[in-house]
Amino acid sequence: MGATFVGVRHHSPACARLVAATIEELRPAYVLIEGPADVNDRVDELLLGHELPIAIFSYDADHASWTPFCDYSPEWVALTTGRACGAEVRFIDLPAWHPAFAGRSNRYADAELRYAEVVERLCREFGVDNVDVLWDHLFEIETGDIRERLSRYFDLLRGSAQADDGDAAREEYMARWVRAAVADAGDRPVVVVTGGFHTPALKAMTAGDTEPPDALKAKATTAGHTTSPEQPQAKTPSETEWPEAPETMTAGDTTWPERPKAKTPSHTTTPAQPHATTAGDTAWPEVPKSTGASYLVPYSHQRLDAFTGYQSGMPSPEYYQRVWADGPARAADALVESVVTRLRRRGQPASTADLIAARTLADGLAGLRGHPHPARTDVLDGLVSALVSEDLTQPPPWTRRGPLLPGAHPALVEMVAALSGDRTGRLHPATPAPPLVTAVTELLTTLRLGHEGEVRLDLTEPDGLERSRVLHRLRVLAIPGFDRVSGPAAGTDPALDERWELKPSDLRVPALIEAAAFGATLEEAAGTALERRAACAGLAELAGVVFDAVLCGVTSLSATVIASLTDRVAVTADLAALGHVLGGVLALWRHDRLFGTARDPVLGAVLDASTRRILWLVEGLHGGPAPADPDRLRALVATRDAVVHADPALAVARADVAGVAGRVAADALAPPDLRGAALGLGWVLGEDEQPDVGHAAAGMAAPNVLGDWLAGLFAVAREEVLSSPSVVGVLDEIVHALTEDEFLIALPALRLAFTYFPPVERERIAGAVLAHRGVMGSARALLRTEVDPLVVAEAMALERRVDELLEGLR
Amino acid sequence: MSLDAARRFVVGDDSRGISRKFVGDPSLVDRALVTLATSRGLMLVGEPGTAKSLLSELIAAAVSGESTLTVQGGAATTEDQIKYSWNYALLVAEGPSTRSLVPAPMLRGMAEGKVVRFEEITRCPLEVQDSLLSLLSERVLAIPELTGPDGMVFAHAGFNVIATANTRDRGVNEMSAALKRRFNFETVFPIGDFQTELGLVEQEAAKLLAQSGVGVAPQRDVLEVLVRTFRDLREGNGTDRLSTVMSTAEAVSVAHAVGLRGWFLRGEAGTPADVVECLAGTAAKDNTDDLARLRRYLEQHAVRRKGAQWQALHQARHLLPG
Ligand SMILES: Nc1ncnc2c1ncn2[C@@H]1O[C@H](COP(=O)(O)OP(=O)(O)OP(=O)(O)O)[C@@H](O)[C@H]1O
Ligand SMILES: [Mg+2]
Repeated sequence: MGATFVGVRHHSPACARLVAATIEELRPAYVLIEGPADVNDRVDELLLGHELPIAIFSYDADHASWTPFCDYSPEWVALTTGRACGAEVRFIDLPAWHPAFAGRSNRYADAELRYAEVVERLCREFGVDNVDVLWDHLFEIETGDIRERLSRYFDLLRGSAQADDGDAAREEYMARWVRAAVADAGDRPVVVVTGGFHTPALKAMTAGDTEPPDALKAKATTAGHTTSPEQPQAKTPSETEWPEAPETMTAGDTTWPERPKAKTPSHTTTPAQPHATTAGDTAWPEVPKSTGASYLVPYSHQRLDAFTGYQSGMPSPEYYQRVWADGPARAADALVESVVTRLRRRGQPASTADLIAARTLADGLAGLRGHPHPARTDVLDGLVSALVSEDLTQPPPWTRRGPLLPGAHPALVEMVAALSGDRTGRLHPATPAPPLVTAVTELLTTLRLGHEGEVRLDLTEPDGLERSRVLHRLRVLAIPGFDRVSGPAAGTDPALDERWELKPSDLRVPALIEAAAFGATLEEAAGTALERRAACAGLAELAGVVFDAVLCGVTSLSATVIASLTDRVAVTADLAALGHVLGGVLALWRHDRLFGTARDPVLGAVLDASTRRILWLVEGLHGGPAPADPDRLRALVATRDAVVHADPALAVARADVAGVAGRVAADALAPPDLRGAALGLGWVLGEDEQPDVGHAAAGMAAPNVLGDWLAGLFAVAREEVLSSPSVVGVLDEIVHALTEDEFLIALPALRLAFTYFPPVERERIAGAVLAHRGVMGSARALLRTEVDPLVVAEAMALERRVDELLEGLR
Repeated sequence: MSLDAARRFVVGDDSRGISRKFVGDPSLVDRALVTLATSRGLMLVGEPGTAKSLLSELIAAAVSGESTLTVQGGAATTEDQIKYSWNYALLVAEGPSTRSLVPAPMLRGMAEGKVVRFEEITRCPLEVQDSLLSLLSERVLAIPELTGPDGMVFAHAGFNVIATANTRDRGVNEMSAALKRRFNFETVFPIGDFQTELGLVEQEAAKLLAQSGVGVAPQRDVLEVLVRTFRDLREGNGTDRLSTVMSTAEAVSVAHAVGLRGWFLRGEAGTPADVVECLAGTAAKDNTDDLARLRRYLEQHAVRRKGAQWQALHQARHLLPG
């Protein structure tokens, strides 16, 4: 007896049915399945009784990938039916971490997409939009025996394609399993379920072992060959260099005793292949050891559908779930119903007349396309024709095979959603989880963080700090349900407590299982996550990473990241990013006691480099009047704070900073907001003498610059302005001297400038203005105008113009 | 023709030597054909030059054997031109009769059971558009001037309407909801794939040039530059889109013009410099903003592309006016 190969498309219900039928018919000794061989000793875990979809999540230090299963996956059906029929069930493909899978995150992506040319030609020949429609047409909607057509289809695909090194390595490995199983099974059958793309190669490589059993032979001859497109010979990939086989382990218990071959292969298909010549030809292949691990995770139809490009597989999981469970006719009805329900729930029109029209069209399309029942796109095409009464902004996604772009028609959105569905899997409670999951669960319990609701933490207490760190680590790992509401943030005054919002959900455990790829402990995982983030972060983002690392109490990371921060700060021309960095690092400096970042010289170096760079850039910044730029003002605020609070870390002397500030403030070429800010900076740093604000302001009194200049001044020297009533008076006089028209021009920027004061302080200023004018009155009332000041100003200007006109008439 | 044969006629069938006449998703053609077999009309909408008229002609020809029953929509279109009018000499001599009646495309289509094309329907006044309502819903056209059975013309099987509408015009938004309900809408999109569009432009331009007596076929690498330029300016790939429509149809006509210039001015196939001249004359005509965008494209994008023809296109930028 030899091997019977069932080449499948992953996630195809038609193939799943064929797999089940074949196994039930042959009752084989072995069922061999394309899947990670390193999981073989844990097949029982897969069969604990989960609700599908689930996936095997595999990871090692640099790579993570999924092997997803749903109810109608041929591989899943092979597993369950094989077990039920008493067969030995084995996964026979290389582990996910093997270089053959480099860059692959979905083990069950469509292989044939890598070989698109022939697919394109077939689509032309059959007059269909794309490979998914072709697949439905050829296989899913057909009710008859698809065996023959399926193997002709895959022969054609494979015949025209050149397998890459990764494929070759996998096929060679899988072929060894097949040979071993056939030898071991003696005269009992072996069923091999792999992606159809690999089947022709596997057949060729194991030729001689592969007499199809009589039952199948008979069927094969009845299926008509006449309409078949010419069938290229399956190619033995002998011109491909065989990669090194995975390192051989010493024969352990996984290697079965060597047996005499049941049938001597008439030829070895790969003469250059070392294994073919060794006596171990029919020995069970060793499972390569890895540093990584695999765990089951719950999966969802949405994720199954969300793979794109080279990772994508069969689309529309909810639809095919229905096809699997109820057949294509009922699946079509269910699809229509689901779309209509969704549309109505969103308040979109879907009248009975439209539905009748959609059904008529779908039936008509099925007729035209030769389908016994409406297929997936017959239904979709009918719906889109009947429901959309305007021009679309993008082609229907099922015609182009890609995700929906933003701004899509609501009918399209609901159709795509209905195809995907919202089914999510659930693991059996006894499923083993990686250590991280247990560790975190225990941590949450001991630290009293497992509940739902708000948590307040005092960071000055050791207990508060510890809980905070755990929460931050979970946050940077993007584990759902840990949201910080308030707490220390980069660049603000030191806050000493935190508030968190906790919300346990079903999504936590799957997220934790996947986070386990980053490390076995929470601290390690968070550190790796931050390291990855730092590797591709921009300058501003990098400061955020450093801050997060400190919040997480991850010390190992900080030093290298900080060093690279210093280097990059020294050369950047991006003032906004510099402001972020300086603000963020300064906050750490100032929070040092809280986080134990004791006056760290490395942090100090960043402060020094940033301050120096900001001053250098600011002094060269020319450009005349321009609207105030909050980002660069923030950079100057950060500089102010650095000089005030971190003086010891800075090489540049306070007096020199004041000197730069003075020069910029007086520089007629500098933008007004910067001049104002520089004046403010000089004021803050000036030991005792106060700058002549009145004089400076008089120079900036033009209506198109006044507001921006003040914005700069207020941003940097808010407190100084507040505590100096004479300055308020001078400013009042300048504003008062504006004509109504000028005031109108200046008003928007002025309003922006005053937003640097919180409401309470605005009231103090209003009080100062009243006092300056010698008026008794309520400052608060002055602020609480009922009408938009802009409207008031416009009205004043209008009145003035009427007055002038009247004047002229007299 | 059966629906299946009609479909092959439009999308082509290599194995039977039937050429592809419309380049686009086969499913669009399927939907259009099946719609015509129902009681709803077919409305083809899309940007100008996406082959809406071509498609409607092909489908009408495939389904009814002819595509001449056509109403051309415009601001001055009247009901007379849609339904029927009178031969006034006969009308005065004999009074209203089937002899003095002059049937317009709708009447003929209904009586003969054929597909009627209604081009640019949204350019017609709204009342004129709405005069289609009763034709499409009751499938009968009343001629009140005639008495007896002649006063009612019933639609024979096979009658239906294919309308086209351009999204750059008034568009379909203003069309009455009642009329919209009588149509299935199909949006025709520009060709998605570069090679396909290039192939089409090459084929159509070669045909037109041969008809114009030009002795050389267009040069492929020049056409590549031309089609890529059209697509960039249409989709705004890292550049500004033009407000002028950069359709495939326009690309064909520019390719034709380039070939004409090359052949009749210098006896060769046309160069990127001709492309620039023709673009200036068509795409960026009367629109200073588009002209500026085109100039920026030639200055900053063309220069970064590899290949002699791209460099030639860049060099020719000074040929733009202004
Ligand atoms: N997808 C396509 N398939 C075939 N020909 C095309 C296609 N796209 C553009 N063309 C070319 O453009 C011409 C189509 O112009 P047509 O007048 O049919 O377009 P239209 O959409 O009706 O434009 P308008 O809105 O300006 O009336 C065809 O004759 C052909 O040369
Ligand atoms: Mg047209």
